[in-house]
Amino acid sequence: MKTKKVKYLETALCCAAASMALSGCGSSADDGKIQIEIVQYKPEAANYFTTVEEEFNATHDNIHLKISSPNDAMTILKTRFIREDYPDIIGIGGDINYSYFVDAEILADVSDYAGLADINQGYLDIDEALKFVPVDGVYAVPYVANAAGILYNKDMFEEHHWEIPQTWDELIALCENIQSEGILPFYFGFKDTWTCLAPWNSMAVDLAPADTAKQVNRGETTFTDEYREVSEKYLEMLAYGPEDPFAYGYNDACTAFARGESAMYPIGSYAAPQILSVNPDLNLDSFVMPANDSADGNTLNSGIDLQFCVTASCENKEAVYEVLDFLYEDENIQKYIDAQTAIPCKKGDFKLPSILDGMTEYITSGNMTDYQDHYYPSEMAVDAQIQTFLLQRDVDAFLQKFDTDWLRYNRDIIRLVQEYEKQHGNAD
Amino acid sequence: MTNIKSNKSALVVLILGLSTIVFPLYLTIVIAFKQPSEMTNSIDGILSLPKVWSLDNFREAMEITNFWHSLGNSLLITLLTVGLSILLHSLMGYALGRNKAHSKFYSFVYLFIVSGMFVPFAILMMPLAKQTAEMGLANWFGVVLLYMVFYMPMNVLLYSGYLVNIPMALEEAAKVDGASTWRTYWKIIFPIMRPMHATVAVLTALAVWNDVMTPLVIMAGSDQNTLPLAQLNFQSQFGTNYNLAFASYLLSLIPILIFYIICQKQILNGVVNGAVK
Amino acid sequence: MKNERKRTFLLITIPILALFICFNTIPLIRGVIYSFTNFKGFGKYNWVGFRNYIDLFSDARVGRSYWFTFKLAVVTTVVVNVISLLLALALNSKIRAKSFFRGAYFLPNILGSLVVGYIFNYFFTYILPAVADMIGIDSLRTSILSNPDAAWIGIMIVCAWQAIAMNTIIYISGLQTVPEDVYEAGGLDGATGWKQFKYLTFPLIIPFFSINMVLCVKNFLMVFDQIMALTKGGPAQSTESISYLIYNNGMSGGQFGFQSANAVVFFIVIVVVSVAQMKFSGKKEEQL
Repeated sequence: MKTKKVKYLETALCCAAASMALSGCGSSADDGKIQIEIVQYKPEAANYFTTVEEEFNATHDNIHLKISSPNDAMTILKTRFIREDYPDIIGIGGDINYSYFVDAEILADVSDYAGLADINQGYLDIDEALKFVPVDGVYAVPYVANAAGILYNKDMFEEHHWEIPQTWDELIALCENIQSEGILPFYFGFKDTWTCLAPWNSMAVDLAPADTAKQVNRGETTFTDEYREVSEKYLEMLAYGPEDPFAYGYNDACTAFARGESAMYPIGSYAAPQILSVNPDLNLDSFVMPANDSADGNTLNSGIDLQFCVTASCENKEAVYEVLDFLYEDENIQKYIDAQTAIPCKKGDFKLPSILDGMTEYITSGNMTDYQDHYYPSEMAVDAQIQTFLLQRDVDAFLQKFDTDWLRYNRDIIRLVQEYEKQHGNAD
Repeated sequence: MTNIKSNKSALVVLILGLSTIVFPLYLTIVIAFKQPSEMTNSIDGILSLPKVWSLDNFREAMEITNFWHSLGNSLLITLLTVGLSILLHSLMGYALGRNKAHSKFYSFVYLFIVSGMFVPFAILMMPLAKQTAEMGLANWFGVVLLYMVFYMPMNVLLYSGYLVNIPMALEEAAKVDGASTWRTYWKIIFPIMRPMHATVAVLTALAVWNDVMTPLVIMAGSDQNTLPLAQLNFQSQFGTNYNLAFASYLLSLIPILIFYIICQKQILNGVVNGAVK
Repeated sequence: MKNERKRTFLLITIPILALFICFNTIPLIRGVIYSFTNFKGFGKYNWVGFRNYIDLFSDARVGRSYWFTFKLAVVTTVVVNVISLLLALALNSKIRAKSFFRGAYFLPNILGSLVVGYIFNYFFTYILPAVADMIGIDSLRTSILSNPDAAWIGIMIVCAWQAIAMNTIIYISGLQTVPEDVYEAGGLDGATGWKQFKYLTFPLIIPFFSINMVLCVKNFLMVFDQIMALTKGGPAQSTESISYLIYNNGMSGGQFGFQSANAVVFFIVIVVVSVAQMKFSGKKEEQL
């Protein structure tokens, strides 16, 4: 009895081990080439990066490039950091993680990289602003940006002769108009809490200072003062969405909007591929969220979606710059923006995706402001707080909690800022 | 024996319960065959059959996950973990189960190990990522070792629980014949625990087969994928291809289902009934 | 003779225990050390003493997650054990197509959480409200997952749906240890149905009952996958389980130190609960 069982087991184990030996580990035969490794956090762009990797290796004899686009890259990156196993280049977003990494001195100063001259100053400024306290040096090279506002069904708009609204009042009037024709103005997917941030961000850039979070950290203002109008307008907007927006997720909302169940969907340009996968024939366009009462007060909500940072432990800066040069070649960037409906951070004559048509004016004139949530620590769960607020509709309670929670979750950052202010404050 | 009437009502209950399984399974299968453009939010839309029954989704899913390679890794890790668990955890369960009632030391070790079940993985993750890397175990073997430790509490609990129902008399009889404890264990106790081996095999295999976090953290950057890791490719924050994902999950369900069917025969044809008498 | 037995047991225990300490206890201790820092998961960190622990007890969000988790765990444990015991008895009786049923009931366990999440989301969002509409139950016309007061029930249902298979298997393997002659003897005494179960079957499978209780405590107090698949802690943060907070804010967020403290406290709480539980069912076993 026993022998038979053990034998089975042995056979199974041997087979498995053999299959592993055959399939496993073929990596890194050292052939004198410099190995450069990139880990980038956008798995949806994996195909693009595989192509780039192949093309680069085919044309370069001295460097071997490896790009991985894992899912849950942040976990992988953090795990590797703790092991002190740093990739040479990391591709991350321009959000609070970047701020943390700069603060943790994980990233290298790349101000000597020649390619920086070709990058749009606006995006370099965004990265500068994301540092908790001013630090000398440039720690990231912006690659592409995304934008959030309102996506709309162009055919539907043309059919009913609806105009693109320029101010908040026009938007509300438009919604009334749409509703009166028996069509749902907005779709929301608030079951996925992060989607609550999309309208929030695009309204906040119109109504609150771009550096609200930093002002609060310096103790100059409060969110209660700055975010009241945003909160109130958000509630107003809710009336034009589905009856129970908290029942639907991002995916439901994309599907519903793609199938013409609503005229507009307040979300970012990143949603376009998902929407078009459901309905490839949809005539999709976008416009800037007109949250301000005057058209001039509106600005496009746009932030860095992907940027490349060199890690401090990287030894081959020259080779890394060569890789970056290749990545930032115009035709590669064009390929990326075509595949991912993105906005290039590099200066130059790029063909923007058609779904951004309604935003082009703001993009070319540089009238763009970074996402407010790029300053929010993720553990504070502002997205969930907004969802709670939209469910409970209590502006005062929401804003008060925002302020108290902010102090609690940003305690260490605020201390950092205040120490810096103390040292440098007199110099101003 | 139980009478015929209760058997009939058992059958009715089972069939009713079955509907809660058939329905989700039906959805999984039709979605796996549909195209993204066939996805709707309406009920008749989701229930409808796909327009074309084509295996393209499965083919594409296999390509994206590098199916055979990932399957090989998953099989290796799962089978090795299950095999080692049956050998080592049953021994540990035996040592602890037979002694915990009368020895303070073993009773402490038992509680010590079983309480390991409740350590939230998140707190271990960072330290383990570091430790395995330092020990050169940031690979599939390290993952197997960790599984041996993670599932030890549950399996020890199961084995020593099972031993309660196995009378000491059996071992004493063997001892009279002059067999050592070690020999007695392999000759008598180990085979008798066969239903529990099968239970442990199923539970452990299932947990290992579906686990994402351990290989994600430990094998990060090693170019090696298990099936669940590869399946992460189908979902990202801004878009999920449910059709391909469902096809892939159906594929990865087959090996474990076969494994379960083999094991469950062992659970049921337990030898205890005959042996205990 | 006696010494040989003792030596063998020690030789078995020591190496396995060493392995366990190496990969469980030592990293746990390291984690405990992090709980006294403001470590973000990377980079430099400072010692903060007991700040994390003090914060923990004044954090309303953590408090709510405890309430939610325990409520969920208790209810799900009861539901799962009742149903899987019934199923195990049914599957263990002489019925047709036994292996088919046993295979089928195992399926919920192996469907990946992406699939389970999608299907149950669909069920709660579209199908259940439509059915409720048809038969006129107003309270179910909107998705229960979008109702902060009811979302936990949705999670409970999915947890139970998935866990029942596991518990059933354990009960079945327990039923295998009940010798046939017990029933035969019982049959002679006139014990059938409920009486037979209560006085003959159940006492014999009490060890398996306690195993299942412990597994339930583990699975449901540490619930995570189902939360990620169904609600991600929403709506209105009403379904944030303790494990969800520990993972989400500790690993994905920058609160590694604080959440380590949370994990340490949670670990102690769970151990106390289950030791109490084991003591309790251990007493029951001894009574037999």
